[in-house]
Amino acid sequence: MYEIKMPKFGLTMESGFIEKWFKKEGDMVKEGDPLLEVSSEKITNEVASPVSGILLKIIFQEQEEIKVGTVIALIGEEGEKIKEYQVKEEPEKSVGESEKEEISSIKITSPDTDRERRIKASPLARKIAQEKKLDLSGIKGTGPDGRIEKCDILNFLSFASKEEEFDVEKLSGLRRTIMERLSKSFHEAITLTNVTEVDFTELKKISKEQKVSITSGLIFILARVLKELNKFNAHFDTEKKEYILFKNINIGIAADTDKGLIVPVIREADKLKLKTINEQLKELVNKSRSGAISERDIKDSTFTITNLGMMRTDFFTPILNPPEVAILGVGRILKKPYIREDDKIAIREMAYLSLSYDHRVIDGADAARFLDKMAQYIEIPDLE
Amino acid sequence: MREITFAEALGEAILEEMEKDPAIFTYGEDIARQGGIFGAYKSLLGKFPDRIFDTPISEEVIYGSALGAALVGMRPVVEFHFADFLFTGIQSITLQIEKIRYMTGGQGKLHLLLRGPDGISNSAAAQHSECIETIFMHVPGIKVVIPSTPYDVKGLIKKALQEDDPVICFEHKMLYRMRGPVPEEDYTIPLGIAEVKREGNDVTVVTVSRMVHESLKAAEELKKEGISAEIIDLRTLVPWDRKTVIESVKKTNHLIVAHETWKRAGWGAEIASVVQEEAFDYLDAPIIRVGAKNVPMPFAANLQDFVTPNYKDVITAIKQSLR
Repeated sequence: MYEIKMPKFGLTMESGFIEKWFKKEGDMVKEGDPLLEVSSEKITNEVASPVSGILLKIIFQEQEEIKVGTVIALIGEEGEKIKEYQVKEEPEKSVGESEKEEISSIKITSPDTDRERRIKASPLARKIAQEKKLDLSGIKGTGPDGRIEKCDILNFLSFASKEEEFDVEKLSGLRRTIMERLSKSFHEAITLTNVTEVDFTELKKISKEQKVSITSGLIFILARVLKELNKFNAHFDTEKKEYILFKNINIGIAADTDKGLIVPVIREADKLKLKTINEQLKELVNKSRSGAISERDIKDSTFTITNLGMMRTDFFTPILNPPEVAILGVGRILKKPYIREDDKIAIREMAYLSLSYDHRVIDGADAARFLDKMAQYIEIPDLE
Repeated sequence: MREITFAEALGEAILEEMEKDPAIFTYGEDIARQGGIFGAYKSLLGKFPDRIFDTPISEEVIYGSALGAALVGMRPVVEFHFADFLFTGIQSITLQIEKIRYMTGGQGKLHLLLRGPDGISNSAAAQHSECIETIFMHVPGIKVVIPSTPYDVKGLIKKALQEDDPVICFEHKMLYRMRGPVPEEDYTIPLGIAEVKREGNDVTVVTVSRMVHESLKAAEELKKEGISAEIIDLRTLVPWDRKTVIESVKKTNHLIVAHETWKRAGWGAEIASVVQEEAFDYLDAPIIRVGAKNVPMPFAANLQDFVTPNYKDVITAIKQSLR
């Protein structure tokens, strides 16, 4: 009688889900025949029968989650009695038992079963594996003819122990919010990104003169563009299929903090002077980084800008901040040769703007118009 | 400590015991007048003329008369001239000398030492180059001594001359002129105690006689490659020191047995077998034997080199074991 056990596909696999049995009880199986299909969190694999015989008993049926190492079926000779197998029909309970118990339930490879599986291992390797309760089938041998030797077991153990040294962090509330919102955005919206290169020379000059950040200048310009192109200052409610256009322009600014991404909001940005935007932005970013940010500071944004220009990113494809319908990404400002109208080459400070938008409500031409306006206002800035 | 040759150490051992024990006398071919064909008895020339004498070339008579002398309470030391010739008188040894203690129910002691040269020399060819210690390890009833250094030959021969059982000692021809430290004080070496000639962690080499020196040379070469070999000189094959060998294998997990005698059914197979029986779970690779190719020794020097194992063969075996 041969016990078919839930296999372990990877080091971290704790349990497998039986997708499908290819054979019925009583069927003849040959060694190497596909027996069942098992999926883990990561992959789905066909499991081949390690032996030939009659599939005497399927202990766990399809669509059940079974702990690794649990006997799931029995193969033997026709008429072989299987009474002594008191089947544990508690897969749920067995899942999630401690790792140690789980490993100890894996049958230690004896020379007999190894012969069937043709695992070559030195006597010493077998002994260590037995002491450490390791399944040799998961260990790669580096000796002659792939023989598993002591060093292979020790390498495997040191790898496994390194894995135990990993810190497992439960996602914080903030990170979980980011995760949930981004995956929602990614899976629901049909996001497209348009990119254009813009001359920042003048804007940079002004920001220097007025001692405000480039981002503040961009927010000022963005607020004007959003006022003109109202369809970008909006939310889209996927469930209700409602497209909500806002009168207030509340711009979210993606800020990098120790705890991760925070998006503080500058409210009614179209009504604020450049200096005010600059002050508010500074305050919000400081609050975000110190952790003093309030709930009100991060809600009600109608459009988001994300600026990676101060870091080494030239352009990128931002993901929507749902339920918003568009997001503007700003890349690094870099001096570049620029061909002027008169075919002369000038040194200009160039950067890419990338606009990601939800194609379900905004068309590519709208996005092009948006970027065109942004570019015009940046290249010939009027920040009064 | 003073250094003397292997032959001198052997001569001292016999002389010192002869002085103590009047029952000891020694005879064989070409020893009294010539001092032994390889000079083993050079230091005994002119000593005890009535107790050291030459015999005609008749192995059957030499071994048979030794048996008779031992049975009446003497302690004969017989030189067998060349180990190869032991076969010409083999029935006296395997049928009589090795059996009498058992067949008398242990009533008779058998104070008898057979000793002489074995192994290769300069093109001595098929009938004068053999190592046949395995035969005597195989047939029960005699203790087998096979030293590798002047110190060991003196200590082991002295011990053999105090034993109640027959003993056979094989002295490699190429070792007689080797010099080594030997204390002037009286000492003996117990039979069945191996010596770890060099400690190591990666592989154990079990060996005797000339191959001890080849193995040490191999270990020295391999040290440059970061391989640490432990060399064990068994010194005696009956009894042999399984405890030392097994402890070493438990440490290194790899075993080589190296001997000059033929690889096929050589005593290395016995060591390998016992180790896998008693320390199977400690082996990380197959046990590898180093021995002579399974042919009679050729006369041509280059062919003798080809057939006979040396340090290079030990290196190859170690690398094969550790690959």
